[in-house]
Amino acid sequence: MSFARGARDGWRWAIPALLLLAPFLLWPLGSMLWRGVAPDGVISGRAIAEVAGDRFYWGRLAFTIGQALASTLLALLIGIPSAYVFAMIRFPGRAIARALVTAPFVMPAIVVALAFIQLVGDVGLLGTLWVILLAHAFYNVSVVIRLVSGVWANLDPQTEEAARLLGAGRVATFTHVTLPALFPAIASASALVFMFTFTSFGVVLLLGAGGSFLGGPLDTLEVSIFRLATRLVELPAAAILSLVQLATTLAALTLYSWLQRRTTATFVLRADRSRPLRETSTAERALLAGVAVILGLLIVAPLAALILGAFTTGGEGAVTGANFARLFEDTGRVSYIDPLQAVRWSLSFALGATIIAAVVGTAAATAVARTKGGLGPLVDGLLMLPLAVPAVVLGFGYLTTFNRGWYDLRGSPWLLLAAHSLIAYPFVLRAVLASLQGIDPRLPEAARVLGASPWRVWRHVELPIATRALLAGSVFAFAISLGEFGATLLLRRREFATMPIAIFEALGRAGEANLGRALAMAVILLLVTTVSFLAIERFRYREVSPF
Amino acid sequence: MGTLTVQGLERRFGDVVALAGASFTVEDGRVAAVLGPSGCGKTTALRVVAGLETPDAGDVLIDGQSVVGRPPHRRGTGLMFQELALFPHLDVQRNVDFGLRMAKWSREDRERRVEELLTLVDLAGHGRRRMHELSGGERQRVALARTLAAQPAVLLLDEPLGALDEALKGELRTQLRTILTRVGTTALMVSHDLRDAVAIADDLVIMGEGRVLQSGALSDVLAHPSTPAIARMLGYVLLLEGVIEAGRLVDPATGAMDVPDGAGGRARSAQAFMHQSSVEAVPPGTERGSGVTATVVAARPDGPTLTLDLALKDGRSVAVRWGGGASPVARDLVELAIQPGTLRFFEVGAAAGDG
Repeated sequence: MSFARGARDGWRWAIPALLLLAPFLLWPLGSMLWRGVAPDGVISGRAIAEVAGDRFYWGRLAFTIGQALASTLLALLIGIPSAYVFAMIRFPGRAIARALVTAPFVMPAIVVALAFIQLVGDVGLLGTLWVILLAHAFYNVSVVIRLVSGVWANLDPQTEEAARLLGAGRVATFTHVTLPALFPAIASASALVFMFTFTSFGVVLLLGAGGSFLGGPLDTLEVSIFRLATRLVELPAAAILSLVQLATTLAALTLYSWLQRRTTATFVLRADRSRPLRETSTAERALLAGVAVILGLLIVAPLAALILGAFTTGGEGAVTGANFARLFEDTGRVSYIDPLQAVRWSLSFALGATIIAAVVGTAAATAVARTKGGLGPLVDGLLMLPLAVPAVVLGFGYLTTFNRGWYDLRGSPWLLLAAHSLIAYPFVLRAVLASLQGIDPRLPEAARVLGASPWRVWRHVELPIATRALLAGSVFAFAISLGEFGATLLLRRREFATMPIAIFEALGRAGEANLGRALAMAVILLLVTTVSFLAIERFRYREVSPF
Repeated sequence: MGTLTVQGLERRFGDVVALAGASFTVEDGRVAAVLGPSGCGKTTALRVVAGLETPDAGDVLIDGQSVVGRPPHRRGTGLMFQELALFPHLDVQRNVDFGLRMAKWSREDRERRVEELLTLVDLAGHGRRRMHELSGGERQRVALARTLAAQPAVLLLDEPLGALDEALKGELRTQLRTILTRVGTTALMVSHDLRDAVAIADDLVIMGEGRVLQSGALSDVLAHPSTPAIARMLGYVLLLEGVIEAGRLVDPATGAMDVPDGAGGRARSAQAFMHQSSVEAVPPGTERGSGVTATVVAARPDGPTLTLDLALKDGRSVAVRWGGGASPVARDLVELAIQPGTLRFFEVGAAAGDG
């Protein structure tokens, strides 16, 4: 419609992302697709027929879908009442509780898995579906709370008041006015949680190990792909499963973004005023207490168990740093990973990936913001593609692509950096895009009329306004890279092992000392992640405050 | 410095026609106000001149040169937005400075110019303040200073007083007029409020449904609206509606009135409009009375005088100043006294009126 937004130069901003996407996402995916449909070099249905004819894989698919649905339901059951509490009830310590509840989202999968091992290991829940569902709830309740409480808090209370005055009771008001208004938010949260749990890897690999359910292993498709890929014989089968996986996540992500657009388009939200302070009813106080207990057990207890485990040894109560000292013992072992090196590699990958993600993500967000009309969602979808590609699928794609000649990069840390950057940049894109789209369209127009070229509009108006979002997105990218497990596990090398890999290696060996090492390393990772998480919260908080 | 000519502008958004061939000229150094109901295309016209919209047809000329092909940042037009569009991440100084930085002025020149402008808009010493610390009127003045900074050839103002409350408007109208006179830039202002145009503009452009209905010097247009619709827009009220016979307009319901130069000729339908500024209600039978009478519905004090809500004989109501002595009461009969030469006659059904 208007030309001040410079729709004409949108495509140029997509170039950095395409430079990353083409070699490190589209090529590996394409080559994997080829491997699936043409296992012997010519197109045939052999691999597809083999996988489709194997009841084992159908069992894995059914299990993956089933556990994802159950996890989504559990996340909603806990998340929706919690969202009400955070949206409507004022209570002391609300800000801290809010931060605490959001923290799991950036927690490394390996740390969470280890925390649940510590928490429920003694009660025999390991290797059961239940502990997997709990760990998924740990992660995804925060997603539901974030998405639903934001909308809930901003619903215009006057519509509810109007319903009451028109004769609707409390329940009728909720079902006829509030719930329909919340529905898109709940639905989009569900789509996102389904996608996360459908592709769940680290948690299932570690917590489901050795267990069985309805006669099959507790393996999601993602875990099956990992097992097939590491065996290196049934690669076509792994490729087919990866494609199934990819198709499902793409569908869920498309549904999610469609629902997200509806959330913001259909309902007029009032972001400017918060609800008036009002008396908390007895029922609400009971709800508050219930939510506090459940979230405490779900989120605080596992992390507490992890920290407690790291600072004690052999079931003794005394606090000790012995587990941390053990990290430096036994250096002669073949599989020894220097803890300081692991920290250094983790930070290096995270820093590098964050810088690349910041540049690529910001440019990509600008490309989406400046693409007008029907093309916008398409460009957005293409640039957000990495979010839909499960990490294990990505790692597997790299192993089968970058494996010969000059581009044999399997042993190179650069390949891992590319994977981390690719996985991280969509988080920058989302944060910056939200900020760019929130800018009053008259501001760039005013800058144009005052003599600024499209580039200078970006440099002097849009970028400065989006800076906080860029910082929040970058720290997010940093945390994601720190905890990245799926792709890293497939591309790992002892020479550049990260903290999650060090934890995984330690866990893989028997003995109390090795568990202690894993716990100690996990606490260090938890600490680094928490610090970056606090930075995100800080930027996010400042973001919503007026200039 | 800047004569602005707009020729046959057309612009549609989907099925909505915003501009349907609008043409007008603003001579160098004059301030023109575009007046019209919302949706008449006036804001679109402004955005086309600024280069924020591309016209489907027509041309925009500045000093005889077409600027339609130029992007907004190379047009030499300055636009002050209705919502101001001040940059929230910059302070007053940097907002005003923005256009100068874009034009790559030297640092000293910029500092001097910003100081000059802040003095002009009465904000000297406020350069370090942020947007959220300013009052509505102060923001208005920052936006004006920012627009004026790089000395645009043509200044465009979109509802310059629209964002303000009534109390502030009056004061800022005078201030804006003073500043525009001092700067001497050609200016085009869009407004839906006649009072803004009257207080600020030299010329008036009346728009409706994407076209220019009438344009000319402010006083000419105000005194001689060319159609009944424009007359209504400019504050005229229908007094009589009937047939002109033997030099008199006879409204069978309300009364009759002499038509100044309409004597003779065949009978024709016409309307007579009066303007409140030139009508008084007087006791019946007063010498200057026009012979048209009305019934008092209510008498409302208006400052030291009274305004009467009157019902004409055909039932229409008008509000007229009371020019007699003791206040009349409801149901009293009064007569309208009309200043000679201020009635405007329009032939009904004819395109052009007699204005």
